[in-house]
Amino acid sequence: MVLTGAVLNSDTGHTRRRMLGAGLAALTLGGCGVLDDDPQPPSTPDPLQPLADEALALAAAYDRTAASLPALATRLTPLAQDHRAHAAELAQVTGRTPAASISAPASAAAAGGSATDPATAVAALRAAEQTAAKNAVTACATTTAERAGLVGSIAACRATHVEALR
Amino acid sequence: MNDQIAAALAAEEAAIYAYGVLGVKLAGKAEVDAARAAQLEHRERRDWLVTKIAESSAAPPAAPAGYRLPFPVVDRATAVQLAVKVEDGVAQAWRPVLGVTRDADRTTALAAMTDAAVRACRWRRLASITPLTMPFPGKAE
Repeated sequence: MVLTGAVLNSDTGHTRRRMLGAGLAALTLGGCGVLDDDPQPPSTPDPLQPLADEALALAAAYDRTAASLPALATRLTPLAQDHRAHAAELAQVTGRTPAASISAPASAAAAGGSATDPATAVAALRAAEQTAAKNAVTACATTTAERAGLVGSIAACRATHVEALR
Repeated sequence: MNDQIAAALAAEEAAIYAYGVLGVKLAGKAEVDAARAAQLEHRERRDWLVTKIAESSAAPPAAPAGYRLPFPVVDRATAVQLAVKVEDGVAQAWRPVLGVTRDADRTTALAAMTDAAVRACRWRRLASITPLTMPFPGKAE
């Protein structure tokens, strides 16, 4: 009986606190909307956001591989720089600041993880670039006329990376 | 017929001509074969563009009577350098086509641009030019 009563009380308290918190959050959000002159970014992500995330994930994969296998650094660093240039350009086009950590594609994120053999590491990066190039081709086919050149160049660049890692 | 398609056609015609000149200065079967294969691919792209122009019932632009090379091709080194320059130029000519095409045509244009960029990368490796890649192939510098 005592136990049941305590649990019930605690539950009720929790619910009240939650409701209070939700009310405060709603107030804060409302205030933001009223005071902010700039239009809020739409809640749906830009169609090119996955491409930007993938570019940063690939750059990070190159960095990790170069760090664990310094002999590959001169070969890999220019490729990582290409991907960072893509991310910067895409951020300009989409109007979003690049976020390195979010929703990185599994293939790009996994590549170059803990390989100790240079051949294996290069093969993993190459596979990731192949997937990334295909993704960019798909993005180019569906993007606007204004963006097609940039996305096409990114697709072509990723294809040259596959060649450069041969 | 739009200007972008015409410019891509002009670049492909120039590439076909350039490979004829530079091919004879290359050394070794692998390089000669690569140049021959490249020239064949440029012919196929040229034919595709000619078909597109015909479909739009426009008159194809006349190919120029001759070309002036950016530098004399006198040996293997200058031959490979010209190949790099030609492929970079072809990629640059195709990029604006992406913005004026849709669906399957845009995908073909992107494949043409990408193939040129990949060949440029291969020729750079043969010429020991670094870096092998550029961040935005097809974008005029």
